[in-house]
Amino acid sequence: MLIFRFIKALFVITLVLILQLELFSSIRFFGVMPELMLGLAVASGWHGGPSNGALTGFVCGFSVDLYLATPLGLSALSYALIAYLIGIVAEIVAEDVERIVRLIISIASVALGLVLFVLFGELIAEPNLYNKNFGKILVVGALYTGLFVPLLHYMMSWVFHEGSHAGNQRPINRSQLT
Amino acid sequence: MALPRRNSGSRFTLAILLLSSITLISLDARGYEPLTNLRKAATAVVQPFRNLASTIFDPIGDAWESLSKGDNLEKENALLRAQLGDLLEYRTTTEGAVEELAALRTQLGLENLGGQETVVAEVTAQSVSNFDPYILEIGKGTQNGIREGMAVISVGGLIGRIEDPGLRSARVRLITDPNVSIGVLVVGTNQVGILTGNGIGQPLRVPDGIPVSADVETGSILVTSGSERSPYPGGFAVGTILEVLVDEINLEKELVVAPTGQFENLEFVTVVLYEPLNTQNGLGN
Repeated sequence: MLIFRFIKALFVITLVLILQLELFSSIRFFGVMPELMLGLAVASGWHGGPSNGALTGFVCGFSVDLYLATPLGLSALSYALIAYLIGIVAEIVAEDVERIVRLIISIASVALGLVLFVLFGELIAEPNLYNKNFGKILVVGALYTGLFVPLLHYMMSWVFHEGSHAGNQRPINRSQLT
Repeated sequence: MALPRRNSGSRFTLAILLLSSITLISLDARGYEPLTNLRKAATAVVQPFRNLASTIFDPIGDAWESLSKGDNLEKENALLRAQLGDLLEYRTTTEGAVEELAALRTQLGLENLGGQETVVAEVTAQSVSNFDPYILEIGKGTQNGIREGMAVISVGGLIGRIEDPGLRSARVRLITDPNVSIGVLVVGTNQVGILTGNGIGQPLRVPDGIPVSADVETGSILVTSGSERSPYPGGFAVGTILEVLVDEINLEKELVVAPTGQFENLEFVTVVLYEPLNTQNGLGN
C-alpha cells in the first residue's frame, strides 16, 4: 500500500509542478501566479495528517526549490512546517467540516506559508523576497491559489484515502450477520 | 472539544525535516558542489516533460497575455514610437561623435558584437516565482559554451547575465534587479558610474559617482565600461539618460536611465561568450 501511495504522490507532485512552471507562471492576475505547490502541501497536511503531510510538504517545497533562485531547502522548510500545522488543525476540527470552512482554512494557510517563506528568507538575508509588492502577492496569491484548492484537496484525498477503505474491508460469512 | 493526542512520531518527523531543510540551506549557501549538481541533474530529468508541457500550454499562456496586456501593448507601442522619434532626432542633431555612432551601431546590429562569439538562445520561461521577477530561463546551457556571469543581450542592448547554467538550460538575472550593479561609461565622456536596477518597468539609476561638474546630458548613451573587474565586455549599450538630478550636498549627479534592451515579449536572446580575465584565471566570480 505504501508503495502505491508513494507513486500516486509522486505523480501528483510532478503534475502540479509542471502545471505551475509551464502554465500558471504565464497566467498571472495582477502579475501574481498561484502557489499551487504550497496549496498541495496544505492539502497533503489536511488529508495525510501532521507526519505524512510534513513529509509530502517537504517534497513539494524541495521540488519547487530546484527551479528557484532562492537557496535549496527554503521552500521545503516553509512547506513542511505549514503542512504539519494544517495537519494538526485538521485533527482538531471535525472531519466532516463544511467545505467552505476547509477552503477558508486552506487559503489562510497558503497566506501563512508565504509569510513563513519570506520570513525565513529574510532571516538568511535572501534578497528580493520582502518588497513593496509583498502585500499584493500575499492577497492575490492566496486567493488565486484558493481557486484550485478544491482540486488540490481532491488529488491529495486520492493519494491518502482512496484504497485504504478497500484495504479495511474484510470478507465475512453469512453466519456472522445473524 | 477534546484535542487529539499527537504521538511523538510526528514531532520527530517534523524535527528531522526541519533539520534537513536547514542543512540544505546552509550547504547551498556555501555553494556545496554535489548539491549544485543534484539541482542540475534533477532539472535535466524533468526538462523533457517541461518541454512537452510547454508545447501544449504556450498557446494558452500567449492567449492570456494578449487578453490581459492588450492595452499595455498599445501604450508600449506608442511609447516606443515616441522614443524612436526622439532617438532619431537626437542622432541627427548631435552627429559627429564617433563613439556615439559606434554605440548606436551596437544597438542596431547584434551580429557585430566586438568580435565576441555569441550564442542565440530561446527564452523558455519567465520567472517561476512571485517574489523574484527578475529571472528568465533560456534553453541553452554549458553544453553550448554558456558559463556563469556571461552577458545576455536582446535587441537594443544588455539585459542581464547568466546565473546557474545547467547542461541544457540557464537562468538570466535581469539588470532591472535592484541587487544588480553594472559599471557603465557615458558615451562621449570619460565618466564612469555604477548602474543599478530599480524594479520591473522602472528606469535604471546611476545613484552616485558622477561629479556635478561632469558634462553629462539627457539623451546620452550609457555603455558597459569593460573595466578589468567588470564581468561584462565593454561597449554594450545599456541605456539612455532620461533625467539628470543634481545632488548639491554631495556635489554629484544622479542619472535616471531608460534601458535600451527589450525586456518584454522576449522570444530569443543572445549570450556573449565572454569570460573576463579574472574569471579565466580563477581569481573572480
